[in-house]
Amino acid sequence: MVFRNLKKIKIMKNIYALFVLVCCFCMFNSSAFAVSGPTEQLKPTLKSLIEILLDPSLKGEAHKVERRAKIMGHVTQGFDFREMSQRVVGKEWKSLSQEKQDHFQVLFTKLLENAYIGKFESYSGQEIQYTGERVKGDRAIVSTQIENNGQLMPVDYIMTKKEDRWMVYDINIEGVSLVRNYMEQFQSILRRDKFDGLVKLLEEKNSTFE
Amino acid sequence: MMLKKRITFFLSLALMVQPVWVAQADEAEGNVGLSIDDGSESFNEFFEQGDVADPLESMNRAFFEVNDKLYFWILKPVNTAYTMVVPLDFRQCFGNFFDNIAAPIWVVNNLLQGKFTGAGIDLSRFLINSTVGVLGFGDPALQSFGIKPKPEDFGQTLGTWGVGEGLYLYLPLIGPLTLRDSVGFAGDALSHPVTYVGSTYLDGLAYYTADKVNLLSLHPGLYEEMKRYSLDPYISMRQVYIEYRRNKVLDREVKNHIIDEL
Repeated sequence: MVFRNLKKIKIMKNIYALFVLVCCFCMFNSSAFAVSGPTEQLKPTLKSLIEILLDPSLKGEAHKVERRAKIMGHVTQGFDFREMSQRVVGKEWKSLSQEKQDHFQVLFTKLLENAYIGKFESYSGQEIQYTGERVKGDRAIVSTQIENNGQLMPVDYIMTKKEDRWMVYDINIEGVSLVRNYMEQFQSILRRDKFDGLVKLLEEKNSTFE
Repeated sequence: MMLKKRITFFLSLALMVQPVWVAQADEAEGNVGLSIDDGSESFNEFFEQGDVADPLESMNRAFFEVNDKLYFWILKPVNTAYTMVVPLDFRQCFGNFFDNIAAPIWVVNNLLQGKFTGAGIDLSRFLINSTVGVLGFGDPALQSFGIKPKPEDFGQTLGTWGVGEGLYLYLPLIGPLTLRDSVGFAGDALSHPVTYVGSTYLDGLAYYTADKVNLLSLHPGLYEEMKRYSLDPYISMRQVYIEYRRNKVLDREVKNHIIDEL
């Protein structure tokens, strides 16, 4: 009798252990996919950016095109250039044809590539420090600091959540918002020269970086 | 004598040219920090910024062109020569010296804003650097004691008191200012320790020029970089200035220090 009871308890224990295991697995699973925060999602993007910048085979002016292309391949995973383009153009964006939107996005991405990645090109392996994170609803700010020429340069990433993925839509370098700054400039140009004039100016600007 | 006056005049012109303030923006490390426990108000402030009142845009743009020419024709060559002649160490020492002389103004403005800790910090920095730092040429307060400066100007004080920033101005030689900051600028100039020592208006001007040329030599290329990446440098500069000053008034850099300590 006692023996049988013991066996029962043992089976119960096994079932219980299995149940706990399944529960754990489920929780683990969901946390791995859904509940990852903005900082965790930003880290791999910046990590690959740094790895490419430090890669000795990609260093120097000679490898600039190749290096930039690789960097942009990774950066587009975490940076929402569509959203940025839409923001800087403002309410006129919706009235533009798909083609014009795409063309603008290519041009503006090129400009940001020069203005943002250019800042990091002298980078020589200093660690990026993650100094804070603020989340409110579907918006977040991730603060980082990076050493640049002996001075700490604060870089904040402004992010928005799109279908469980946190995407950067503005970069704040030393207190100045990059996309916001372009938005103000473009709004002024749009009033004066309309959309086609803006595209022309962008093309001219980009050609100066060649 | 005549020559000296003339040099002083041109130097004054050069140093006052606007781009220098960008260098100051660079100096204040981290003015956008966000602390873990800061109120949601400043979080929203980060996203929602009011428009800039710029009714005098066409006049401002004309002055922007003037200062741009002055930068490339006078300030840049002067700065290049100065940088070549005076080694970096010396320029940094001069920078410390100018900062140290301005420190009493920072103390007063900290007090006017009710920031007693800041006032104490700037006062102790002033005392340490004026003595151990040999008249302020060194910065032992930072290097040996790790005390970071808390600069506050009269424009920030007015902002803290609730005075609106007013319209945007771009002045010849001086550069970008809001109406509030022009009052602040005048207040700081009048209360500057040098005005009690210097006998003439020109002395003050020469001092100001030397300060700004030295500052630019420590942060070269900022103005040109801004121009290089912008499609409308006038608007870009306006936006940078407004954001920089609003952050200053909101004390975003103070919050960054909180993060430093975490």
